[in-house]
Amino acid sequence: MIRKILSLLFLIGFLSGAVPLRAQQSATDDLIKRLQARVKRNPEDHTGFAELGAAYLQKGRETADAADYELAKGALEKSLDLLSNDPAAAFAMTQMAVVCMVEHRFDDALTWAQKALALGSGDPSPWAIAGDALADMGDYKSAADAYSRLQSPFGSEDEKLAYLYQQNSRMSFLRFVAGDTQGAIQLTRSAVRTAIETHMPAENIAWSQYQLGEELFLAGEIDAARKAYVDSLEEYPNYYRALAGLAKVRASQGRYGDAVRLYKEAIAKVPYPEYAAALGDIYRKLGQLDEAKKQYELVEFIGYLSQINQQIHNRDLALFYADHSLKLHESLALAQKELEVRRDIYTWDVLAWSLFKSDKVQEAAEAISHALEQGTKDPQLFFHAGMIYQKAGDSAKAKSYLQSALALNPQFHLFYADLARATLQGLSRGSLAAASQRTTDARP
Amino acid sequence: MKTFALVVLSLLVAPLVWAQAPHNAATPAEQKISWAEAAIKAHPDHSQPYNDLAVACVQRVRETADPGYYVQAEGALQKSLQITPANLEGEKARLMILLGRGEYAQALGLAKALNKKTPDDVLLYGFIADAAMALGEYGEAEEAAQWMLDLRPGNVPGLLRGAALRRLYGDARGASEFLSQAYQQMAPTQTEELAWTLTEMADLQFSIGDIDGAEKLLHSALQQFPRYYAVLEDLARVQTAREHYSEAVELLRQRNQKSPTAASRYALAQALERAGQATEASTAYTDFLAKARPLINSKDTANEELISYYLGRGHDPAEALRIAQLEIAKRHDVNVLDAYAWALCGNGRYQEAQKQIAMALAVGVREAKMFYHAGVIDAQMHDDASAARYLKQSVELNPWSENAAAAREVLGKLVPASAASHDAK
Repeated sequence: MIRKILSLLFLIGFLSGAVPLRAQQSATDDLIKRLQARVKRNPEDHTGFAELGAAYLQKGRETADAADYELAKGALEKSLDLLSNDPAAAFAMTQMAVVCMVEHRFDDALTWAQKALALGSGDPSPWAIAGDALADMGDYKSAADAYSRLQSPFGSEDEKLAYLYQQNSRMSFLRFVAGDTQGAIQLTRSAVRTAIETHMPAENIAWSQYQLGEELFLAGEIDAARKAYVDSLEEYPNYYRALAGLAKVRASQGRYGDAVRLYKEAIAKVPYPEYAAALGDIYRKLGQLDEAKKQYELVEFIGYLSQINQQIHNRDLALFYADHSLKLHESLALAQKELEVRRDIYTWDVLAWSLFKSDKVQEAAEAISHALEQGTKDPQLFFHAGMIYQKAGDSAKAKSYLQSALALNPQFHLFYADLARATLQGLSRGSLAAASQRTTDARP
Repeated sequence: MKTFALVVLSLLVAPLVWAQAPHNAATPAEQKISWAEAAIKAHPDHSQPYNDLAVACVQRVRETADPGYYVQAEGALQKSLQITPANLEGEKARLMILLGRGEYAQALGLAKALNKKTPDDVLLYGFIADAAMALGEYGEAEEAAQWMLDLRPGNVPGLLRGAALRRLYGDARGASEFLSQAYQQMAPTQTEELAWTLTEMADLQFSIGDIDGAEKLLHSALQQFPRYYAVLEDLARVQTAREHYSEAVELLRQRNQKSPTAASRYALAQALERAGQATEASTAYTDFLAKARPLINSKDTANEELISYYLGRGHDPAEALRIAQLEIAKRHDVNVLDAYAWALCGNGRYQEAQKQIAMALAVGVREAKMFYHAGVIDAQMHDDASAARYLKQSVELNPWSENAAAAREVLGKLVPASAASHDAK
């Protein structure tokens, strides 16, 4: 799944220069200290509180620590308590929208973005968050419209390029969803070029390179994906997303030792459940079942660690449980809960997979049809669809989707690529047996 | 000149609806009132939620034309200032109320005083621009609007003020450009503001004679904000221009179902008269006078309509002039200058009338009505060449204006006279 929290890309230009991870974190900490001192000196400084909120958000982005997001909210609420009916308040409102995105409160994020836009500040940035929220809610058409407004005839050339970067980064995801993977890759390449040319913060450049890697991996261009992840790590050493991306590539190449090392490094930086799940799978592949079990336990631990984690990792947990045929009742409940707030194709997909694993085949087929309706070319979607239709008795559809998954990326998953191949073989044998039986039956 | 209409009309896409989980039937101002009330409940000791409520109530006035919301706004403002005396956001809310109620001189004084303390506040410049424009202090208004756009390039409040000023200076294309830029920035949920901006664009199109374009924009505005009184009023003007007087009557009756103003009553009375419904028109004029006359000396008046009435059907040019003199003592924006000039003309004081209309036109404004008035005044001053020029301008600018027929008639009488005078030379 390539889409991460794009909205945090909004925080461009907040830090200066391309600096290594630890140095960037120090710069953020320094900024927080300066802003804390500033608002202490002047408790009526709404701009100071807004910038402090943004700094806490940046900190949260670097560390994935939920406490930073709470601090961000507090500072932003204080800012808006001082000023809320003026174009100057648009910044704080947009940051609040970002906080809501982080917490997966997409409707609230959209509301905050709309409030920011209603102030008419002249800054088109809230359109980015509005678009992100709409995309997560599955309204891709409105998301595209919102992204199309992410431009301004005013401001410097650099500012215009910054908006173009935001627009291209986001539109690339919509292109991917619409099935135009090559178009998506082109836009992301363009975004990377813009980010480099305009000297954006290292983390932003690295993020774009990582996104490129994700798209290339899904398109089956493994070596190009590898290069993109490596570029990302060169730009922003030890960047956890790029580490995990490269780990995925190594795993697909059968270089499990490298994959293990890279996943461990990524998890040490930011322990996302999907990284722990992937690492657990590699251990399982290697026959190290105890190690695999530890990682699987870590997945659940992270998922339920805090209130915010219980909100933002529902889909990851649901997928993990379904993939490993664990706690299927809970998997389904989590997927259904996620669908209440997030009706994008990947939530439909996870729901479909949970239903399938729970033997609710017809419902699974209906859910997967929603996941596929945009025309997205994602091997995971195709694999899930193939398995669902196989169980539903539609061999033709099952074959088509499984073949499509493997055609996109023959090593799209550590276990499922082989399962797709085996299932296809079974379907073909079944066809041959059925054809043979029909021939036998037809004989006089 | 009219080709820029294509740019404007290209904005007419189907209104977008963002699929948020619950469908919200509340208007934008109602939604803001609801948020503010929730914030007050959560933090009754904070002043900002009360400010938010006051501002939302003022916005509700624009949505509905119901001045009753100013009372609610004032109540909220009082609470805010009790909690945090002289808080800037509260003072800005006060300014919005003053401007809404037509208290321009007081608003300008307060805005300038606040601006001195907080010179980087964009909205304060906006309030200065609003008050200055209403008073006819266009230089001051322009300076303030420019500050808005310099401080925060492309901000919507600045663009809208800039558009108003550009129109006053006779730059319809430039005004249209700013309105379009403002429109592009508005979210689909800002339905009233979108409708209001479309109505402004329609008014601009109408002023240059593009009634088809105006009508399309107005229908788009109605899609955004159904039954919007401002749109109904302008659609009635369009129907009048097309000589569809019964349709105009229907639209104005619809408009006047809720919160009719003295001005909208006058518009209905005129429409009824044009539609040949003499009895109803008479009743409507009586109704208009009953509402408008008590307001003569207040801040929020219908004096321009009264002046027009007394110069026309009311047959009392002296009363028209008296009211115009009251207005000119308060403000000298182009509309008041024009009304005063026309009242002076109606009283045979042509030289003074010529001076006043010249002052209005010197701003740069291009309005068919004002060119017509200038033409008639110059004709009375026996300056036929100038009169002919103005009358031609009036008709060419907007062949559908309410003065177009009269302008053609006067022009028709002038031309042979002008030609004769030329031959004699």
